[in-house]
Amino acid sequence: MSKIWSFHGGIHPPENKQQSLQRPLEALPLPSRLVLPLQQHIGAPASPLVKVGDRVLKGQPIAEPTGFVSAYLHAPTSGTVVDLVDHSVPHPSGMTAPCVVIEPDGEERWIELQGVDDYRSLEKHELAERIRHAGIAGMGGAGFPTEIKLHLSDDHIINTLIINGVECEPYITADDMLMRERADEIIGGIEIAAHLLTPTHVLMGIEDNKPEAARAMTEAARRSRIDIEVVVVPTKYPSGGERQLVKLLTGVEVPSGKIPADIGIVVQNVGTLAAVYNAVHFGKPLISRITTITGEAASRPGNREVLIGTPISDLLAHAGVDPNRLTRLVMGGPMMGYALGNANVPLIKTSNCIIAGAADEFPPAPPAQNCIRCGACEQVCPAELLPQQLHWFAKGREYDKALNFNLLDCIECGACSYVCPSNIPLVQYYRHAKGEIRREQAEQRKAEQARIRFEARNERLEREKTEKEARRKARAEAAAKAQAAKKDDAVTSAPKADPEAALKAAKTAAAVARTKLKKAEKALQIARDSGESDLAALEAEVSAQQQKVAASEAALKAAESTAPAKTPDIKELKLAAATARTKVTKTEKALADAEAKALPSAEKLRSSLATLRSKADAAQHALAAAEQSARPAAPAEATAAATADLKQLKSNAAILRTKLKKARKAIEAGDSSAELAQQVTELEPQLASAEQALAAAQAQQPPHTGPDLKALKSAVAIARTKVKKAQKALDEAGDNDDLRAELAQLQQQAAAADAALEAAQQATESP
Amino acid sequence: MALMRLSSPHVHRPGKTGDVMKQVIAAALPGLATLVWYFGWGPLINAVFAVTLALLFEAVILKLRRRPLGFYLGDFSAALTGLLLALALPPYLPWWTTTVGVFVAIVIAKQLYGGLGQNPFNPAMIGYALLLISFPVEMTRWAGPQEVTGAQLSFVDALAVIFAGQGLPDAVTMATPLETFKHKGALTADELWAQSAQLLAGLHAWQAVNLAFLLGGIYLLLRRIITWHIPGALLFTLFMVSGFFYGADPSNHGSPLFHLSTGAIMLGAFFIATDPVTAATSNKGKLVFGASIGLLIYIIRTWGNYPDAVAFSVLLMNLAAPFLDYYTRPRTYGHKQPQKGIKR
Amino acid sequence: MADYRKITLDGLWHNNPALVQLLGLCPLLAVTGSVVNAIGLGLATTLVLVGSNLAVSLIRNLVPDAVRLPAFVMIIASYVTCVELLMQSLTYDLYQILGIFIPLIVTNCAILGRADAFARKNPVMPAVLDGLMMGVGFSVVLVLLGGLRELLGQGTLFSDMQLLFGPEAAGWKLTLFSDYPGFLFAVLPPGAFVGMGLIIAVKNIIDARRKARTERQPQPVEDGGSKRVRVTG
Repeated sequence: MSKIWSFHGGIHPPENKQQSLQRPLEALPLPSRLVLPLQQHIGAPASPLVKVGDRVLKGQPIAEPTGFVSAYLHAPTSGTVVDLVDHSVPHPSGMTAPCVVIEPDGEERWIELQGVDDYRSLEKHELAERIRHAGIAGMGGAGFPTEIKLHLSDDHIINTLIINGVECEPYITADDMLMRERADEIIGGIEIAAHLLTPTHVLMGIEDNKPEAARAMTEAARRSRIDIEVVVVPTKYPSGGERQLVKLLTGVEVPSGKIPADIGIVVQNVGTLAAVYNAVHFGKPLISRITTITGEAASRPGNREVLIGTPISDLLAHAGVDPNRLTRLVMGGPMMGYALGNANVPLIKTSNCIIAGAADEFPPAPPAQNCIRCGACEQVCPAELLPQQLHWFAKGREYDKALNFNLLDCIECGACSYVCPSNIPLVQYYRHAKGEIRREQAEQRKAEQARIRFEARNERLEREKTEKEARRKARAEAAAKAQAAKKDDAVTSAPKADPEAALKAAKTAAAVARTKLKKAEKALQIARDSGESDLAALEAEVSAQQQKVAASEAALKAAESTAPAKTPDIKELKLAAATARTKVTKTEKALADAEAKALPSAEKLRSSLATLRSKADAAQHALAAAEQSARPAAPAEATAAATADLKQLKSNAAILRTKLKKARKAIEAGDSSAELAQQVTELEPQLASAEQALAAAQAQQPPHTGPDLKALKSAVAIARTKVKKAQKALDEAGDNDDLRAELAQLQQQAAAADAALEAAQQATESP
Repeated sequence: MALMRLSSPHVHRPGKTGDVMKQVIAAALPGLATLVWYFGWGPLINAVFAVTLALLFEAVILKLRRRPLGFYLGDFSAALTGLLLALALPPYLPWWTTTVGVFVAIVIAKQLYGGLGQNPFNPAMIGYALLLISFPVEMTRWAGPQEVTGAQLSFVDALAVIFAGQGLPDAVTMATPLETFKHKGALTADELWAQSAQLLAGLHAWQAVNLAFLLGGIYLLLRRIITWHIPGALLFTLFMVSGFFYGADPSNHGSPLFHLSTGAIMLGAFFIATDPVTAATSNKGKLVFGASIGLLIYIIRTWGNYPDAVAFSVLLMNLAAPFLDYYTRPRTYGHKQPQKGIKR
Repeated sequence: MADYRKITLDGLWHNNPALVQLLGLCPLLAVTGSVVNAIGLGLATTLVLVGSNLAVSLIRNLVPDAVRLPAFVMIIASYVTCVELLMQSLTYDLYQILGIFIPLIVTNCAILGRADAFARKNPVMPAVLDGLMMGVGFSVVLVLLGGLRELLGQGTLFSDMQLLFGPEAAGWKLTLFSDYPGFLFAVLPPGAFVGMGLIIAVKNIIDARRKARTERQPQPVEDGGSKRVRVTG
């Protein structure tokens, strides 16, 4: 007898199992219609292999899996496919799903079955394939395709196979009945599973409220070829939960977010293993199962062997359910099962129990009261959560906090709701919160995907653009080369690469080499300080880097010498000079500051100031030299620039004049602040210099570049208008010296403009 | 065939919040009976009066909040609050004092915070602490055990004392053991007991009351309405701390038995500190919670201003309960470490 | 042009420093044990508020932003010193009772808050009015709370008014309950908190009612189809 561990919490609800154990196992008569949902398992729904009107034989596959996690479906009896429709299926939401509807012909003709006498002779994957073809999915409730769990990939090494015969939910006795009646089939299935998984231990858990089943299983296990240990565990809900059973039998906990296979454990339900046995030895697919029908509304409760796809109404009728007493129809157990909205749904591979509940048996839940934090839920939670805290968080939509309190480790066993004295539907809160969290996460994933897509698109566009550019360049270069080749046929060889680019490359190479060297040196230093062992390697690296630096610097020098003496760019030089100057001023300031505060850094600043100054001087010299060399080099450009400059100079002068005028006016208006006076004194020389420059430029201007008649005409017009305006103003203002002087000036200007226009007109007419 | 579509689980353990409260009330009745036995009709009148007032105030506030009366009064939490407050009060407290206490407990400490389950502090203890601070004279006028004082107040007399403003006859009043011990001054413990023979004779009355509450508490434990963690840690800590000081200096400190059997210790340990709404909920948290209350009780009794300190200790630890809960979370199945604190 | 009506209403109700801004709670809770204390502190605070708002408004264009707070504090401190000296000379007993809370007016956030939030951005007249109304609003709450606590704590109203208004005011004392045992809780700081909470609650109730009324009246029911309320998901 191996040791039994224990898990936290758990409850002892009334078992109500005796009711359905009074009668022996019976087979349900053939129903008039069978409805087979294409999805009775976890994973992708199967895709039908038959069409309406097809005749099918008992055990013939009628749907095949559509993915890795999916399952076959077989005709439970011989007959005709009469429909392929959406039919209501067993689901908490009462939804409809695609189903194959078969009308039995009553002949029960089997397809030819091919059993294996010695499954040990088969390859393991072949054996798994047989189980897959039998359409077996976990019959304990979850419906996970069985062969996946029995034929794991190589990265899962299984040391323990656990057989779940616990059946901890109240009311359900299907597994109990199966273990009593068909213990040898179960043992056969365990042997096959053990052959596939090669575990070191095979443990079977049965609750101590099923002594008969435990006895039958122990007997059968003794006869088995392999060592199967039947462990009787104390009755407690939810011992049959996969994770709880693992803890109970092995003392190991399945880590959060992992499956038992990750820690070398596989859990299989007894019903599933019996089905595996039948599939391997007789080739029988999964077309029927044992289902418990019980509840106070049923007059003949018990266990029935039913064909998959049998409508629940048939089962209810057979069990003598009084429709007037029936108020709640539960599929599954009372703790985790779901209530059905009508009896017109079929039984599926995972339907282990139907409870036809009467009103006094399942009264409607009383209204929820306030939570008084009594902690009863916490005492019973098998996952050791804090249900009342989760309830607050779920209620307040604080899903982050709920996650922090491990909401996702909740197995929804319902123990907390069961004990809550305030009748709070805790599990419902958790389901809702989990749904919300999943939705949020899905949205986040979506957003993330969208972001990745967007970035990928941008990248692609960018890449295409650069590629296009590169192609264009390449074409242009090729064309240029061709041109050059044509032109310079005589020239022996053009320089292969652009010397400037080479220089640049050499520079970066040198810089990279230097950084690497520095890093290596630093690493060496650190290693030395910490007294590490592999100093030699580091030293070698440093010397290698030093060599590299030397080499790259040599290359750089070579490149510099080969590069043609570049005409220095004036703009760059100007910028450099300006930067140098700013640096100097900054340092000067800092120095002054430091000196004022008598900081120790003053000395340092002083020396750096000296170097900066010399640098600035050098930059200035370089600039001056470059400017001188540039001037004679571009005489043609100068004229072009001159016209532009003339304009510039003119506008400059105009701006200055306006400013000056404004300032003067302001002074006249009585605002005799020092600022304004200073402005005027400043502006006057500026204006004078600007006007001088303008005059010089105008003098330089070649005199007959074709006088612009239009401009002259408009100038005349403007001058005249001004004169007129001034005259009017004078008339209105009466006697005013200022105005009169202005008028005189304007009149002069107008006359000058007239004269210029005339001269120009003559000049254009004469040739 | 109208089928109900309800979410699982479909079965529910019988028993409601109201049943829990009723059992707590029932468990407190032996204590009340003992009080009546030793101190006369006063405690009973107080209890009936306080419970009535509590239900009344609760009903008024529920009406103001537009909540269904029957549903909320049926949880018996207001009645329990009134009863617990009355059990903590001196036996012949004037009616208006009780009224103020119940008003503060129900209206301010409970309903203004949102009603049952939402109050951070134990309502009964808020009411008690407020009375103790505001009306020190009334709140320290204790009656002595009838057999010791020899003066018996008839039911009518008791009514007159409580409701008609007749002062409590001096013959009836007597300081509680804790008060006497608190104000023993320079006397050693032995000298004190030698001097106050009357008190020594009456000591067993207070001990009997505590014993009755202890029995009630054990009943609650057996009915699994409370867990052992809070009372166990509280009594154990008080025992250890008082034992340490008694062992070090028996002439100036009360014995552990004296500390455990006087004042409101058993009432506090089993009925007040265990109020689930305001206590820590995790088992580890409960242990810290109970132990801290025990320690605080000893500290305040010995070095504080008040002879008894259950109310203040409980209130102080109520303040720390959420913190305790966040830092004593159990390790969830499949996790290596329990999470601590709360992430923002 | 400043809206004087709005300033007045803001100070007294909508933006009451004690009930809405919850500023200056320290003196508010500490000295409102009786009506006379409340009036004393209220007057002192109002005086300082008006004076500081006036001065701050006057210098608003002269003080650079960077140093405005020290300047304001200097102004406020000067006024507080004046008020302190005045109280020493006129109502020495009350000054003794209020003790440290008179000098502490300097640190009353309501005053600095008004100087910074209002007076430095507004001309003199609105600033003075704002100071006055804020001061009155603050004082009203002080007196209310003082009255409440005096009534609950001692069963009297307007006791010791002679401290502030001279000997003839000694007779103003109203004893509402003759044999009142005293309710120490109301006199202690927790009582101040509870009382303050109740006053704020009453203000919120009034505001909520008024809002509901104004929302109900001017807007006729929009017709044009029923609004479907999403009840699921």
